[in-house]
Amino acid sequence: MKKSQKEESQKMKILIVDDNEQITKMLTTFLELKGHQCTIANDGNEGLNQIKETDYDVILLDLAMPEFDGYSVIKNLEDSNTLKDHKIIVFTASTITQDELENLVKRGVTAYLLKPIDIDLLHSKLVEIADL
Amino acid sequence: MLSIKYTLFSVSGVSSFIIFYMGLVNFLTSAEESTGLILLIFSVFVATGTLLATVHISRIITEPIEKLAKSMREFSKTNKRAKGYEIKTNVTEIFQLNDNFTAMEEKVERTIEVQNEYVEKLKDIDRKKIEFSSMVSHELKTPLVPILGYVQMLQKENFLGDLNDKQTDAVNEIYISTLKLQRLIGDILTTQKLDLGKLDFNEEDTNVSELLLSIVKEFKPIALEKNIAWKMNFDENIHIVTDRDRINQVFSNLIKNAIDFVSPKTGIITIGAKEQDDHVEFFVSDNGQGISADKQSEIFKKFYQIDTSTSRKRSGSGLGLAICKGIVEGLGGKIWVESEENVGTTFFFNIPKKPSAKSESV
Repeated sequence: MKKSQKEESQKMKILIVDDNEQITKMLTTFLELKGHQCTIANDGNEGLNQIKETDYDVILLDLAMPEFDGYSVIKNLEDSNTLKDHKIIVFTASTITQDELENLVKRGVTAYLLKPIDIDLLHSKLVEIADL
Repeated sequence: MLSIKYTLFSVSGVSSFIIFYMGLVNFLTSAEESTGLILLIFSVFVATGTLLATVHISRIITEPIEKLAKSMREFSKTNKRAKGYEIKTNVTEIFQLNDNFTAMEEKVERTIEVQNEYVEKLKDIDRKKIEFSSMVSHELKTPLVPILGYVQMLQKENFLGDLNDKQTDAVNEIYISTLKLQRLIGDILTTQKLDLGKLDFNEEDTNVSELLLSIVKEFKPIALEKNIAWKMNFDENIHIVTDRDRINQVFSNLIKNAIDFVSPKTGIITIGAKEQDDHVEFFVSDNGQGISADKQSEIFKKFYQIDTSTSRKRSGSGLGLAICKGIVEGLGGKIWVESEENVGTTFFFNIPKKPSAKSESV
């Protein structure tokens, strides 16, 4: 009971950056039912603009997107020295190695999730971040 | 090695000398001086002629042959026609020899060219195959994201609304199939990485008994559900520096196979580990239907599925054992099977206690 009250109190402003609309819709459905507030960006460029304009509690960032991808977003934030100001969870379906993902974490990304995303795992990552 | 040229020279030299010597003897012993002189002069002419003829023969026969021999030697080394070995000759036999050799050279060159083209084509096909399967697995994973997400939401109480019992069953079935599909895609990706030598291996100090206990814990619910008995057999306190997760993956694949092979109620699966010098030997044993001798060498091949009239529905992708083999060998070990039909099967694999220098540098 105490735990659920605590969860209830963690309403977060979340930005979802993914080019796949079905994925963003599913994530929004889940996150809004969990009480969070979601904004969607359909590519890296839009995502970066949103990040610069608005202060989000968590950013869910897909690594593989056409043209301006997740790596470019991370690189851009790194260049402006603001990567560590944000809580970013990256996700990927590609054949990227564990080492490469760990390397992103070393650079300042908060966490990573492998596709297909386990929504319970996503939820527990969000709770972790809220507790930080 | 005595070349034709020198043989020719020495033969002609000796014969010139004999002719000259005979002429001289004739001259000295001849009754009539004039006859002797003529014979001597004649013998000098003949001897000189022989020597000149030898020089000529050497130029028109042995030199081109030597050149051809050098050219052949070069060709056998480089498989390419060397320049500077053009042969000009009026001797029919040498001309033919050179002609035949040239024809042969051209043919060999063409064959090699065609062969290289095929090699390039095969390499290209292989690259495309890898790219294709990488793309396919990536593209397959993407639609799995919303499927799995919604199914998980449907399974939650009070989330997307309540389901009746039949709907709950349906959603559970979708969930199981989705996980199977996910595992299959994962297996394809792992196989691909093994093919490319791109699978990463970690190294961590691993307590073998803890590892085995965690594996048993993972599979206990399935075993209970299918009424299969579990046994464990391991030496205490074995430590190994290896990739714990990969060893776990090998065990999972072997245990899943064993579960498919044993009969419910009478089925027994034993897993264990034994210390052996610088190796740890692991095993997964079952009392299932067994694998016939002729199939034992086939089972580690990709997409191989044992298909017998008695086999129950198989859940695997046919990649499990190929992956096990790839992982075990990647960790510097070996995997093998011992089996007797209608008695059971034991899969053994051994892993070095410490990674070898080779695997460290990879």
